[in-house]
Amino acid sequence: MNILLISQLFALAGLLAGVYGIYRRYLETKHRALPADKSPLKGNPMHGVTYAFTVGMMPWAKESTRIHMIAYLRGIGFHVGIFTAIGALLISPFWGFLPQPLALFLVAVLSLGSLFGAAGGVMRIAEHNLRGISLPDDHFAIWLTTLFMAVTALGVQNEAMRVPMYIIAGMTLIYVPLGKIRHCLYFFFSRTFFGKFFGRRAVFPHPEPVK
Amino acid sequence: MTETIELALKTLESQLNQPLETALEACARCGICAEACHYYRAEPKVEHIPAYRSEQLRSVYRYEHDFLSRIFPTWTHAKKLDETTLAKLSEMAYSQCTLCRRCTVNCPLGVDTPLMMRAIRAMATAAGTAPEILVMLADSAIEKGKDPSFFKDMFLDQIRDMEVQMRDIMGDPNTTIPVEKQGAKILYVPLAGAHTILPPAIVFNAAKEDWTLSIFEAANYGVFLADVNRAKQVAKRIVDEANRLGVKEIVIAECGHAYASYRWDVPNWFAGQFDFKVRSLIEVLAEYIRDGKIKVDPTTISAGVTYHDSCNLARNGGLIEEPRYVLSKITTDFREMTPNKAEALCCGGGGGLVALAEYTDRRLAAGKPKADQIKKTGAKIVVAACENCRLQIGDLNEHYQLGVHISALTDLVVRAMRLPKPLPGHEAEHLFEGEKAPVLGD
Repeated sequence: MNILLISQLFALAGLLAGVYGIYRRYLETKHRALPADKSPLKGNPMHGVTYAFTVGMMPWAKESTRIHMIAYLRGIGFHVGIFTAIGALLISPFWGFLPQPLALFLVAVLSLGSLFGAAGGVMRIAEHNLRGISLPDDHFAIWLTTLFMAVTALGVQNEAMRVPMYIIAGMTLIYVPLGKIRHCLYFFFSRTFFGKFFGRRAVFPHPEPVK
Repeated sequence: MTETIELALKTLESQLNQPLETALEACARCGICAEACHYYRAEPKVEHIPAYRSEQLRSVYRYEHDFLSRIFPTWTHAKKLDETTLAKLSEMAYSQCTLCRRCTVNCPLGVDTPLMMRAIRAMATAAGTAPEILVMLADSAIEKGKDPSFFKDMFLDQIRDMEVQMRDIMGDPNTTIPVEKQGAKILYVPLAGAHTILPPAIVFNAAKEDWTLSIFEAANYGVFLADVNRAKQVAKRIVDEANRLGVKEIVIAECGHAYASYRWDVPNWFAGQFDFKVRSLIEVLAEYIRDGKIKVDPTTISAGVTYHDSCNLARNGGLIEEPRYVLSKITTDFREMTPNKAEALCCGGGGGLVALAEYTDRRLAAGKPKADQIKKTGAKIVVAACENCRLQIGDLNEHYQLGVHISALTDLVVRAMRLPKPLPGHEAEHLFEGEKAPVLGD
């Protein structure tokens, strides 16, 4: 068995472990009670949920993202890079069929994502507040995912980089349900609860003036 | 493990539902929530970042629930709960967070930090480390509900005196303040004090409303303790009264936490026994003005007026446009604070902080961003439709020498009704330059 195949199997095992771990987390959380809200509606919870996942995610929708626009956009770029890396990894056996412009585009997105990741990693160390709220888990997670994007970008272009790419990918995917990266699951729970809460109360979407 | 810690952990477990677990798991510690918090704005330090605060509970949660944290606690700062940690958690949740949810609306993930602070408050209450005064206030309200005869005669005497005062102000000897009127449409629930009874009574009489006054007050200190059992017992007094009188609707005085709890929580606590509508007095005022049930002179209040959005009424309650509609009909120079509405800054008096004398310095310091906001508007009158906010802004007015007059919304409405005589505190000598006297014919 050659080393490339072993690394591919490791990445596949990582993927399965990651998906299983996240699924277990999902089941555990869903198993917990969800208090039914019987208070009469003022607004529409579903409109709130729609707002939470669309307009409410725009950088101008919140004061925090308006004043930290660059940090927010860095975060968006970083996350786009991560999801691109996962997508790229899934189609990696077919990279040979990718048109050159698309391959270059992939490399660009992944390179930018890893640059944004590295910037975030440095900020976590250099910035007083971020350092104060960061855990070892946070530092590890950001550098691991940054490395994942970087080696995937290299792997798209260079076959020699595919073994380290699959190994790093496997490690990243195994770590997803174990550490802070699992917020990727709770993001959906959190924004849904946010939307239901504020939608029901007619806080978001912003209400029309009373006439 | 001591009994105190056991109780606290048991309470955490009982609170751990989907929304709380989500709040405990979702934070990415990006720190973007920092400036959303008025404590951080007033004193920018790591301990005042909402994410830092919630981490204090997360460290306990992880120790109990997270696989990796159990093997390698240092990796996630997981910590076994002990007496010292519980005391620190309790102090933080009661003195450094007003449960305003401004951090939640500013979080890219929507992490509900106040939900975690409520969980800590509940743990502290169960373990006996919650502020005593809040426990006493909640318990005395429960006792009052058990035997109303203890205070009822005195209360009725006060109401009769207020009735005399109201007739004088309105110039109408036929006006009344009905108490425990069977079959009335509205049960109005005031706060302690004539200032939350007399002006609404004038409005209800002017609108010829079929209403009655509750013998209980709307405040519910069980809510601040995050103690659902106590909060339910306090609320039950009013639910029972409303059921007994057969009213169609409960109208809550200008009070943030009372409105939020009766409008959004109580229907869940008393599902099946709660067949009436709950509205804030603010909504009723807007309706009366819109439908022409009360006549207001839009030019009465010409001094600059600004409105403070109580977090419980606006961000947590959805009453955002109603007070603005009322103000648009009774003022000529309304000035918005920036930011406002769902993004409004907390005044620092919420979450029961106003009742906790031991944290006065902290509360006044945290109110500085609100004081700066008020100053920036240049307004002379600050309207706040929440009693705790009014008390806090009153203290800020003194502490930061803002030179403003703080008013309830109903008081200004009554002033704009231009009745034969003014409300106490609204006499000619209290008016701002350029304002019309609030009395008919002037």
